[in-house]
Amino acid sequence: MSRKDVPITDERIQAWLDGEFSARESAELLAQVRADEELSRDVCELRMLKDSVKLAYQDIPDPPVHAHRRDMPRMGWSIAAALVLLVLGVFVGWNLNPAGEPARFVMLDPKGTGQAPATAQSNETRIVFHLTNPDMAVAGDLLDEIEIMLGEYQKQGDAIRVEVVAHGDGLGMLRTQFSAHQRRIHALAEGYPNLTFVACKNTIDRLRVEEGVEIMLLPEVEVIDSGVDHVVRRQKEGWAYIRV
Amino acid sequence: MLKQITALLIGVVLLAGCGTGSQSADRAQSKQKVVYHVNYDDLGRQASALRNIQNHINAVGAESLDIRVVLHGRGVSVFQHAFTDEKIQSRLVTLRQQDVAFNVCQSTLTRQGIDYRTDLFGVTATELVPSGVAELARLQAEGYTYIKP
Repeated sequence: MSRKDVPITDERIQAWLDGEFSARESAELLAQVRADEELSRDVCELRMLKDSVKLAYQDIPDPPVHAHRRDMPRMGWSIAAALVLLVLGVFVGWNLNPAGEPARFVMLDPKGTGQAPATAQSNETRIVFHLTNPDMAVAGDLLDEIEIMLGEYQKQGDAIRVEVVAHGDGLGMLRTQFSAHQRRIHALAEGYPNLTFVACKNTIDRLRVEEGVEIMLLPEVEVIDSGVDHVVRRQKEGWAYIRV
Repeated sequence: MLKQITALLIGVVLLAGCGTGSQSADRAQSKQKVVYHVNYDDLGRQASALRNIQNHINAVGAESLDIRVVLHGRGVSVFQHAFTDEKIQSRLVTLRQQDVAFNVCQSTLTRQGIDYRTDLFGVTATELVPSGVAELARLQAEGYTYIKP
């Protein structure tokens, strides 16, 4: 069939302008265009349109590549978080064991021998003395009575356990700076393993702040977290309670 | 057969009733056991302690109470103050009349060189105990509630 019969549509002209025709097809179309004045004008318009579109989009700048900046904020936050955690860790660690304080949270009754209630059936007498009196003469009386009692029980071969729990104003007897009975306490502690001197950590902490000095305890002294809590616990366990 | 079973059941119920009855009788007779601890010398505080005990009796009734007062260390001086202080003396007498038992520490008397017969008001030999603190522990083990006024 003759090429002249194929209608020259805009699509065909666009395809020709886009270089999609073969050489022979191009030549045929060109001959047709030259023969037709109206067609020539259409082709001219379309070519101009194509060229102006090409010109308009010639200098579009490349989109900026932000790859490196997208990662930077994330890394910055990571570093900041790590630093905060480091500081926090050092702070917590420092305060858990401040320099100069003997960390003597001793577990009283590690063998659990004091746990059984001191009932009438049990042959072990258990007494907790609750010392809150600052008077050193009263403290001396207490040590007198304890020494006599421990001696008697030892002579009779009877079992007894004694704890002296000092808190509040009573802590003085257990402090190197204030105790009038340092040697005596040392001798008693040595002579009677069933006798324990206990200091309250709440009181120690409070005094450290109030007095602004390190609280130095006698070497025989054990430390419990809360003196009042401990005496209540002992009573619940069946220990006899005596307030000094 | 039914008659025997009924008789047996009635018997069981009566016995149970008796048991309960005797239990409540026991409860009515059981007393509140309290041990008061006095080891301080201050006259005002000693007088207050004696007043506390009297108030306790007034509140509960002497027949419902079994009160012991254990005195040791500096507390034995209350019997010395009684010679010169009328309030202390009268309170001691009244409490003794209401069957309050005073227990005085022999160990303390020995250490302080005190003769209970001449130096302490109204104290008899039956009121002495070998050790005040041991007595406090013993009474608690026997179910006495500890109070230090």
